[in-house]
Amino acid sequence: MNAKFRDLLLTTFLAIVLGLGLSAVMILFLGKNPLDAFGLLFTSIIRDQYTFGDIFVKATPLIFTALSFAFTFKANLFNIGAQGQFYIGAVIAVWSSLLMGGKVPGPLALLIVLILTAVGGGIWGALIGYFKARFNANEFLTSMMSTYVALAIMNYLLRTVLMEKKGEYPQTDALNESVWLPTFVPGTRLHIGFILAVLVAVGIWVLLYKTPLGYRIRAVGYNADAARMSGIDAKKLYVIAFFISGALAAGAGYTEVNGVQHMLLQGFNPDIGSAGLGIAILANANPIGIIFASILFGALNVGGTIMGQMSGIPSSIIELMEGFVMVFVILSYFVRARLENRREKRKLQKKVEE
Amino acid sequence: MINLLIVTVVMGTPLLYGSISEVFAERSGVMVTAIEGIFLMGAWAGFVGAYLTKSLLVGVACAIGAGVLTAALYGWITVYLKQHQVVTGTAINILAVGMCSFLQRVIFGVPVSPLTVTPLPMLPIPLLSKIPVLGPVFFNQNILTYLMYLIVPASYFLLYKTSIGLIIRSAGENPEAVDVAGINVDRVRFILVLVAGVMGGIAGAFYSIGYLGMFTTNMIGGRGWIAFAICFLGNWNPKGALAGTVVFGFTEALAISMQSSGGGFFPNELFIALPYILTIVLTITRKSFNVPAQLGVPYKKEN
Repeated sequence: MNAKFRDLLLTTFLAIVLGLGLSAVMILFLGKNPLDAFGLLFTSIIRDQYTFGDIFVKATPLIFTALSFAFTFKANLFNIGAQGQFYIGAVIAVWSSLLMGGKVPGPLALLIVLILTAVGGGIWGALIGYFKARFNANEFLTSMMSTYVALAIMNYLLRTVLMEKKGEYPQTDALNESVWLPTFVPGTRLHIGFILAVLVAVGIWVLLYKTPLGYRIRAVGYNADAARMSGIDAKKLYVIAFFISGALAAGAGYTEVNGVQHMLLQGFNPDIGSAGLGIAILANANPIGIIFASILFGALNVGGTIMGQMSGIPSSIIELMEGFVMVFVILSYFVRARLENRREKRKLQKKVEE
Repeated sequence: MINLLIVTVVMGTPLLYGSISEVFAERSGVMVTAIEGIFLMGAWAGFVGAYLTKSLLVGVACAIGAGVLTAALYGWITVYLKQHQVVTGTAINILAVGMCSFLQRVIFGVPVSPLTVTPLPMLPIPLLSKIPVLGPVFFNQNILTYLMYLIVPASYFLLYKTSIGLIIRSAGENPEAVDVAGINVDRVRFILVLVAGVMGGIAGAFYSIGYLGMFTTNMIGGRGWIAFAICFLGNWNPKGALAGTVVFGFTEALAISMQSSGGGFFPNELFIALPYILTIVLTITRKSFNVPAQLGVPYKKEN
């Protein structure tokens, strides 16, 4: 194992431990024993098959939104709008599933829904890239604001055309069972969306590191001017990168609608985008690392919820844990750079001495 | 119509606090991407302080304290440890949500009825408030709004007419020159991040105790980001920030009045989304941006 990789594992692990440790201190303020609370958190997630499976159910959409942020990040672009792309994906997924459910054979319908969702979310995302390429519009701002627009669109549709037949609540009817993503572990909610997410993460890794397109994206991210000099069309890449990024975030909408909720309702997963961004940070924007970081966040989510139900600790402890872990992970970037720096110096010194 | 203008000034006040503080920090080279979290912590601490002591003044002081603490964490990581500003801001914004909803529970448990405080009173200014139209719109507001009237010209003067302003602007354009002059670039930037904490804290308090008299964790709902956007769209200039605030304050006022009157032909959601659509449209159409040269770039001394 080389020194750099060892540092990465060690500092990230320390960051997670410190982040959780600080959250434990916060639990003291509630007058509860943090050791009991964390004991409960860890034992509860392995107490039965259903709960354990839920870790991966929760991790699934996070893998998608984290990939969405990480992908544009590699091109030094900021897609802060994964939440909105997720909403657009969820709307398209539920709409097309409602139309096809029970009429088109399940597997075929699921495939068509997936394609429509990815393309729709991709177009919504590509607009941000297009605005950047054509008008030099700051993608940080436009992607940020696009989330609120997407939310308004979703809420509008939920109380008009997509509203349930009963017409009582702003939510859709339940999907026909034929368009549910099948589960693959008996006794759990774990659906094949998780496998899809893992495959997509691996696919994104291959795309980024083993293909010419990925090379060009990383080149633009590393040094846009140099990339342009060498003949890379940065503007076209902006649109492509944001299309892929949007399609990835929309994938979270697909797995949540067809895999978990089997319907769409108001206030649907409001912080999946920011959690995804946090995971991308935790994983250093590495697609494979994102799988593991998402599982960690999934576990915190499941464990934190149970902890809240059983010991009266509010479920906001989840956000607190995630926030602290993220801050410590950023600090670990700093520590790693220091370690690397010191190693270089020592190497140099050795050479001078020789 | 007069009512619409009154609400414009009300909704514009916190946006102006936020965007002007952002102008200062960004002119020195740091984007305060933790602004949403600073607003939220200010709103929360302002409410808690005011509720527990029954003093709105203590509330505002608590809001400033919480804003500064949040900003200090952000400034330490981005200015001194040179970490990525967007990434750090996102982490702190999530932490802020967890922190204030958790501490809210620690302090108040699960209250039976919603907790409220009486918001800051309107203080009509004698004589001036009697002027038709202008009087009720500008001179029958709360103390934080009056304070804001002073901040705009003062900040313009400070930024363009004083040597401090020159140092701030140079830190964002040519930090080496500032360094050569014997001034610590990082310290300048860190202080301005703290100032953004003060003003962002006040802005947050405006939402909780200046206007609604209550606190919910989603009450900021992207307003920090709107202030952030106004700074960009206003070309990093206090005058531009003022113009942007008027536009956004008016859009918000319009959204509020449309929501209460039903909106007529257009769906409510259109008005809710209006400020955000406006930001996108303005970002696209704005041609010449005067971006500070070193915006977002940590200053690293050559050695």
